[in-house]
Order: sequence, then structure tokens, then C-alpha cells
Amino acid sequence: MSAVEVAAPPAARSLPVPFRFLRSELGLIARRRRNQAGLAVLAAVPIIIAIAVRVSSPTSSGGDQGAPQFLSSITGNGLFVALAALALEIQLFLPIAVAAVAGDAIAGEANVGTLRYLLTVPVHRTRLLAVKYAGIVAGAFVATVTVAGTGLLAGLLLFGGGDVTLLSGTTIGMGEGLLRLLAICLYLTACLAALGAVGLFVSTLTEQPMGATIAIVMFNMVSWILGVIPQVDWLHPYLLTHWWNNFGDLLRDPVAWDPLRGGLLSAAAYTVIFLSAAWARFGTRDVTS
Amino acid sequence: MSVMNSRPALRWLVPAAAVAVVVGGGAAVGTLAATAEPSLPPRTAQQLLVDLQTARLDGLSGTVVQSADLGLPNLPNLSGAGSGTADIASLLTDTNQLRVWYSGPDKTRVALMGTLGETDVIRNGKDLWLWSSKQNKATHRTISDADTRSHQLPTDLPLTPQEAADRALAAVDPTTEVSVGRSATIAGRDAYELVLAPRDKASLVGQVRIAIDATEHVPLRLEIYPKGSDQTAFQIAFTQIDFARPDEAQFRFNPPPGAAVEESTGVPEAAKPDRPEGAPKTAEEAGVTTVGEGWTTVVVAKGGEDAAAGQQDEQAKQVLGVLTPVSGAWGSGHLLSGRLFSALLTDDGAIYAGLVSPERLYEVALEHK
Repeated sequence: MSAVEVAAPPAARSLPVPFRFLRSELGLIARRRRNQAGLAVLAAVPIIIAIAVRVSSPTSSGGDQGAPQFLSSITGNGLFVALAALALEIQLFLPIAVAAVAGDAIAGEANVGTLRYLLTVPVHRTRLLAVKYAGIVAGAFVATVTVAGTGLLAGLLLFGGGDVTLLSGTTIGMGEGLLRLLAICLYLTACLAALGAVGLFVSTLTEQPMGATIAIVMFNMVSWILGVIPQVDWLHPYLLTHWWNNFGDLLRDPVAWDPLRGGLLSAAAYTVIFLSAAWARFGTRDVTS
Repeated sequence: MSVMNSRPALRWLVPAAAVAVVVGGGAAVGTLAATAEPSLPPRTAQQLLVDLQTARLDGLSGTVVQSADLGLPNLPNLSGAGSGTADIASLLTDTNQLRVWYSGPDKTRVALMGTLGETDVIRNGKDLWLWSSKQNKATHRTISDADTRSHQLPTDLPLTPQEAADRALAAVDPTTEVSVGRSATIAGRDAYELVLAPRDKASLVGQVRIAIDATEHVPLRLEIYPKGSDQTAFQIAFTQIDFARPDEAQFRFNPPPGAAVEESTGVPEAAKPDRPEGAPKTAEEAGVTTVGEGWTTVVVAKGGEDAAAGQQDEQAKQVLGVLTPVSGAWGSGHLLSGRLFSALLTDDGAIYAGLVSPERLYEVALEHK
């Protein structure tokens, strides 16, 4: 959060120069109290889900239309706690986590007046952006894996493991189930990284990290809301969030690759457009703080 | 880069170019797919019909997209489930994606893909399974030989283009004008298009278009256009298709541990139309008759007082609530009017329905009063 912290600890000096900056950025993100608190909240959701399902009557049917996804399968296999938590958190909690990190990236430095010091150290602006974006992607990955990992741990402790029932009704071994869970985490990271690119762009527009974070969360929410309005269904494939729930396609037998490919293409398009926009904006901006 | 350093505004050309590439690239792919009209040797409608009926298909697998815009009001029991549930009832109201595997008539699997859910209908020999991931429930039914002759899938909705086209072709008789339309490319394959148009202009159906694969003679797309509209009311089409025989494992279904397994002797529950307990089973018992023939057939069901009194449950009231109350010389009742069909529920318990305008139903109701 400050120029003092940016000074790398002695151990980092052995690293090649480009990685020292990245390392200090990652350390900065990890040491922020608000990020640690956010991560704790993310991890709390799967634990709450697991305990709630455990203490409620095991016979209660999950066939209710309003019930969150995967909830009915949890009693059979703890792995589904992770999936239920991901399905629940991908709409708001995980995007908020990414928005918090992305909002801080440029606007946060500008707000506390450290951005110009960063740039007076001979750091090219493009490299600064690259490191900031790498930090956002790493944050998205850590957040997703935290949710999945806590869910997996809580689920295995309370319900045990075993064969995993896919959406298609086929069962696969626990090992392959874990592999698919990892693939889901990677897919969701790619989706969130696209939101992070939007966030990095927004962050270059303002000096208020709070404003940037709120704008990113609102962008995410508007995208979800438009996604459920049937009158604008022509727009749906172009929405960033339209493809996120397709992580479930990794749980079919055989895996439905087409929607996943669409999701990755959409994420790549958003990432390229908004990263280049962030680069254009940051390169032309007067840094005064 | 030096140009961009001296003229920073030029940097904005990069994101602008990225937008142009993404949008333009997407649009170009879309237009190419839409406008490409393959040149195929001409074929008459008769030849296409024969092709269809003699098509010998070893197996196929593919993805099917189905959409319906029947212009119906939002009926609580149909659309209340939302889009994520992969219910079979959603075939009437939504856009759906299905995956199909076919390896001979006694080995079929249809998977209706919902968001984070799936409903599968799997037929393997004499076993028929209905699996719902949302309910975590598998319904099993053993198919007798008599069933095999009458129908292959347990639902009244066309689930594959093959089946959908079979049904449309069953209506081909002197009432229908059959012609060949423009050829098209569907799921990357060249296809002829067969156009069926009702001769009776009182029908709400304008055209039924069936696209038939030029080499495999399998229906790839079925579209139903209401009269005087160029927007389909119902469409089902392959977006991806592979004519290789699918792996045997696709048709093997063992109910997963922990799932509720139900043994059914009748039609699986999810495919069964909502019908009160003890309802008459055959058409004659239920007092069902038809008026007219071909595309303008009107089905008349006279349930009598019993049916009117039986509709007391909450859902029936909700359904009646969204229907338009109508009255006329024939009496009074509620009208369900869509782009392809109309249905009239009179207050004395009779039901009139058909692919015709409400006015025609009123005429029939007056005759039967």
C-alpha cells in the first residue's frame, strides 16, 4: 500500500529483476488486511453450506425449484459442497473479490499517492500494467481455489468422498472428480480474469479505488441482470457472465466442450479489448498523484 | 512504439482495432454461415420424401438447439420452473440445447442440457431410463413389444429432428402442398429443404420447412412458421452432427448411488401430461371427438360437469387466471390463443382445440352446444 512496502525483502534480490516487481505486488495483495478478510468470507460460505446440510434432516429432498444447485447431491459426496459453493459464489462473491483487487490496482496506488513513485523508479508503464494484471489473475485463482478447497475439505470431513455422480447420471471415480473440479477452477479463473481486465481498465480511469470497485461490481450485476431478461436474448451470448455457469458442462458425460469453448472465447475477447483499452488509457494519462 | 509515445492518442487505435477484430470476426463467421447457399443437384419433393423414408442410419451424435415461440401467455406450471431446470415442460417455452446419440431405434439417448442440470432419456434395448439430475432421480421402465411398435420415446414432444419430421410427414396427404425450397447449410452440411404448406387457409400454420441432409437423407432442421409470419413459432435444428456410430457406453445407464430410483409401469412421470387421478384413459371414454380434418381438425373434449368440478386445485385456478375470459353465442369460457394453435375451455367443462383461429373454435362450439 505504500512505497515502503514495495521495497523487496532481501530474499527477493536473487530473483531476476522482472519477477521482483511481480513478487512484491503479489505480496502486497496477500498482505492487505481487507483481502485476507475477504478470503475468509469466501471460505466461510462452503463451510456454512456443509454444516447447514449436515444438521438439516438428511431426507429432505433437493427437488425444490428454488434450492441452490448441487445441494441435493451433497449428502452423497462431499465434493459437491465445493461445487455448490462455487455455483453460489460465482454470481456475486467471487466477482466482488476480483473487483476489490482490480479496483486497487491503479486507482489504489493513485489514491494514496504512490503511483508516481512507482513510475519514477524506472518501471515502464506497460510493465506496471502487466504486473498489476498478473496480480489480479493470481487473486482470482486463489479466490476460486480457496472456495473449492474449503468446500472440498468441509465436504469430505462431514460427508466423506467416494464416486462422483455427474449431471448425466454416470459415476466417475474420486480422482477424476477432483481433476474435473480443478478444471472448473481454471475455467472460472479465466472467466474472472476477463472481469479483472475490465476492472483494470476501470481502475485506470479514476483515483478512487472504492469507486472503481463499485463500478466493476455493478458491471457484473448488470451483466447478470441482462442475462435473465428474455426480451434481450439476442444480447445474451455477448454478456461476460453469460458463459460462467457453463462450468457445469465439465460435469457432463461426455464433457460438452462447445459451450466451454464459447466461454473461453468470450473471456479472451473481453480480456484483449479491455487490457488494450487500459494500456491506451494508462499510457496517455497524466499521473499527478 | 515511438510513434505512440510522441502521439499518445494513437494508442486508442489498439483497443479500437481489438473491438473491430472481435465484433467483425464474429459477424463475418455469422454471415458466412447464414448466406452460404450450397449448389446441389435439383431434386423433386417426391424424391426427397422417398429419401427421408428410406434413410438408413447406422448412428449419429450431435447437438440440437430447439426454440419455441408459441405466443402463449406464461402458464404457471410451464414457465415457473425457470430456465435452469432442464425440465421437459420447458421445451414448450424456452430455447433449449439437447445432445442426442442414436445407434439404431432401440439405442437412443437424448440429454436436455440445463444450466447446471440435465435431464436424460436413455433407451437401451428394452430398458428405458429417465434421469433428472436436479431431482437426483431415475425412473425406469421396461418396454414391451407393443410399446415398441407404437412409439420409441416416452414423450409427446418431438425430441430429435428425425422424430419431428416423421410426425410432420404423417400429416402429408391431400391437405398439404409439398414443394422444394432453397438449399441450406446446417451444422456444416449441405441440405435440401422440403416445404409443406397447408392447402386449407383456415389453419394458423403457414409453412413447415424440413431441411434434409443431401447425402445422409436425415432431417437436420425443422421449422414451423405461423401464417403470415417470417418468425418461426417452433424450431429444432442440429448445430453439430457426426454420423459415426456412437460408443456403446453412451447408452448404458446405471442409477448412481444415492439417487432415488422409481420403477414405472406407465409413461414416466415427467413426460406425462398433468392428468387427475382416475381420469378416463381412452379417447372415447373421455368423450373426445374431432371436427374437420387435416390441418384444421378441431379436437372436442366434453368432460361434462365432472371435469369442471375437478379443476378445483390451485394450479388449475392459476392457469385459468392467465387465460382470456371470452363469451359469445356459444356460451362463455376461457381462451388460450397462440401463434400456432388455439384452445377454448368453456365454463361447462368442454375443451376445443386445434391449429385454427379462435373464431373457428367459436363456430365449432356453437355447433356442439
